Amino acid sequence: MSRKYQRRVVITGMGVITPLGCDIDSMFKALLEGRSGVGPIRNFDASTFPTNFAAEVPGFQLSNWIKDCARWDHSGINSKFAAAAAQQALSAAGLVEALDSGKVDRNRMGVYLGSGEGIHDFHNLMWETADSYDPQTRKLDYPRFCKGGRATFHVGSEADQELHTTAMHLAAHFGLNGPNFNCLTACAASSQAIGEAMDLIRIGDSDMILAGGSHSMIHPLGVTGFNLLTALSTNKGNPQGASRPFDKERDGFVLGEGAGMLVLEELEHAKKRGAKILAEMTGYFTTADAFRVTDSHPEGRGAIACIDGALKDAGVTPSQIGYVNAHGTSTQVNDRVESLAIKHVFGEAARGAPVSSIKSMMGHLIAAAGAVELITCVEAMRTGWLPPTINYEHPDPECDLDYIPNKARQAKAVHCLSNSFGFGGQNTSLVVSAYTG
Amino acid sequence: MWCFQGGWEARGFPEGTLVTDMASAARRGVVTGLGVLSSIGSDPETFWQALLAGKTGIKRIGLFDPSELPCQIAGEMTDFDAKNFIDKKDRKQLRVMARTIQLAVACAQAAITHSKVDKKAIDLTRFSVIFGAGMVAMELPETADAAAVSKTPERGKIDLKVWGTRGLEVIQPLWMLRYLPNMLACQVSILHDAQGPNNTITQDDVAGLLALGEAMRIMRRDHADFFLVGGAESRVNPLSMTRQSLFLPLSTHNADPATACRPFDAGRTGLVLGEGSGILAVEEVGHAQKRGAEIYADVCGFGAAFNGKDQSDAIERSIRIAMAQAGIGPDEVDHVNASGMGVEKEDRFEARGIAAAFRDRKDPIEVTSIKAHVGHLGGSSATVELAAVALALRHGMVPATLNHTATDPSCPVKVLTGEPRPLSRRYVVKTSFTSEGQCAAAVLGRHQG
Repeated sequence: MSRKYQRRVVITGMGVITPLGCDIDSMFKALLEGRSGVGPIRNFDASTFPTNFAAEVPGFQLSNWIKDCARWDHSGINSKFAAAAAQQALSAAGLVEALDSGKVDRNRMGVYLGSGEGIHDFHNLMWETADSYDPQTRKLDYPRFCKGGRATFHVGSEADQELHTTAMHLAAHFGLNGPNFNCLTACAASSQAIGEAMDLIRIGDSDMILAGGSHSMIHPLGVTGFNLLTALSTNKGNPQGASRPFDKERDGFVLGEGAGMLVLEELEHAKKRGAKILAEMTGYFTTADAFRVTDSHPEGRGAIACIDGALKDAGVTPSQIGYVNAHGTSTQVNDRVESLAIKHVFGEAARGAPVSSIKSMMGHLIAAAGAVELITCVEAMRTGWLPPTINYEHPDPECDLDYIPNKARQAKAVHCLSNSFGFGGQNTSLVVSAYTG
Repeated sequence: MWCFQGGWEARGFPEGTLVTDMASAARRGVVTGLGVLSSIGSDPETFWQALLAGKTGIKRIGLFDPSELPCQIAGEMTDFDAKNFIDKKDRKQLRVMARTIQLAVACAQAAITHSKVDKKAIDLTRFSVIFGAGMVAMELPETADAAAVSKTPERGKIDLKVWGTRGLEVIQPLWMLRYLPNMLACQVSILHDAQGPNNTITQDDVAGLLALGEAMRIMRRDHADFFLVGGAESRVNPLSMTRQSLFLPLSTHNADPATACRPFDAGRTGLVLGEGSGILAVEEVGHAQKRGAEIYADVCGFGAAFNGKDQSDAIERSIRIAMAQAGIGPDEVDHVNASGMGVEKEDRFEARGIAAAFRDRKDPIEVTSIKAHVGHLGGSSATVELAAVALALRHGMVPATLNHTATDPSCPVKVLTGEPRPLSRRYVVKTSFTSEGQCAAAVLGRHQG
């Protein structure tokens, strides 16, 4: 397996902050129980929005993970999620102390995140806009806006909204002095980050990379944007049943929030320091639909090339894939096109391939989704249990795969495929495999 | 092509350090086209002549009234109109693009035209778009009506119950798509049917250089042959200027904008922002030769590093890794095209990092910067500067640093000033970084067929 690469990449640490649990075990247990993390939005007053529910992370405090966390005082919540998940991953990999004591070379450990943008100071920004606006003439008084903004915007939190800050904070706090990247490709971001991190290690630019993503779009402008695009479910009568990937009655996705972080490491490096190897990263491919900003390509052109490329990169055939963690957003188009793409690449093997979407339970973590879903694949292989797709009630003739409906299933998977498809057309597929020496 | 000579130790690496050797890798990249949109020119030739002539695009902001801002100057593009670049049939799309995204699609078209590539003759599934981008500034008129209906008398408080109903009704349905950072690369991929790897890297001033490094890796893993590597950003708008005036060390030299940005100069006045786009067509050398493309430069090496405490260490390591990957030593480098922000802390750590990387060189390394010509362009800084490097290699001339009269004694580098000088060695090192220590360097070389 994967012998074409001289330098193989393994996972030696993982961490999560999710609506269903803020450590790997709690999250995975909740997934196997088929629990929903969806509830009324508490981050802000969303009562009159077309969508007033989401899957939020309850009671999060960064100080539970990092004692000295002053550098995040003015950070957005996604940056704090990232720090907590990174602490878990590095600690599981035995690297927090090893980095401090110089047992591993910090110059050879990089960061590659797919983390979301900082959150605008909605109230001040919109109040100052309104205050400088004359609705009659539809003219804005810019000097008034600049003056008002300078008086009310907070220096620290404005600085921390910039897109390079999350990766910077992690590298600075943990002393990770290798290459430092962040990519932002909407819902594909953290998968793409993990894939490119794999490539950085394969090619020799780093020995270890902290890879993953974090995001929350459960804020006024995030929900506004997705509601206007009619991408979110508006099933207010049944929030916990709103995310129903592959079900005929699906009406859009449900927002989630959180972070997933992994330590990727070159195999020999991991062996040499006696690290526990959780799984091997074997395949990665990424493509663009190049079709429309709002829709996937109707015949799944980009998704097909992407899944096919990842399997070839891993050197596995479709029948060897024991579990597919689908992008499965619960929108009409995504779920239909993704099913089509899986069938196209898998052929006959599509019948026997268990596919599920954990977005049915924790909603869509946007940039962070791919990392948490890859971690779910690793746990599925390690425990021998596949998480279900909940809320699956009405079969859709266009989505006719085995979606592990409603109940977790015991099954041995040796290779798993995880798909992420971004708004705007970026597609990323990852293959993760049991490490067998 | 250029054989690597000597062990890693000879290049300052500890024994056993693994550094990949881009020069000896089978698939190498070359620059075959340039798109540049800037305050000193919106085609490579005009831009290049302005660099040589020492023109600056930094002036008093005219796109909006900046009178309440401490910094009222920028490298503004006064007459940019994306419609001049985009096919009639595609112009409708421009309506869902913020100015930053319009800059990207216009510049991408210019780069493709400049490269003379025939899109019908290349494999579009191996056409990749890797961009750097920053926060795309919200355009205030787009949400002004919604803000107005939901404003409360209490300063800083919006009535969300009203926003969620009457507010949402008066915002355009595709509003959010105007601002997503990945829309630069996405819109470009859609306009050109580029189906290969598509990524958006968001590390501020260094984003475009990291994008070049990533493109080179994708080329080496054989997932694409033809790339648009670039970035675009406009910070010349009321929201960006207001926000950034709070946390960036912006110049307040409003009385004389032309001399405000002074890279490595003892009399520097602070950072000056700008707007623009730089996009390079980068291609696998065999692919370029087969279609008879004009080659502007070889892409020879790349390195990236971080240091949150001692940023100069990360600059030094980035340069050393990039030179090792290119298989060259410090004496083979003609000059460094630096970031040269014109800010005390940043200039000093960049200069110290460069000096350290070239410690073993026989004569002092010369450094130049084009920040005083165009300003700090955020996500597009590095690729506009890379375009300048490619043009320098192509024309065999090095543009001088503008507004540099006396070097800050804490910047241990020799700054090229005055007149442009001929290029005398084959390689140029490009450096970029963020103030927080995210650094990268690339080595570009004059092409030898």
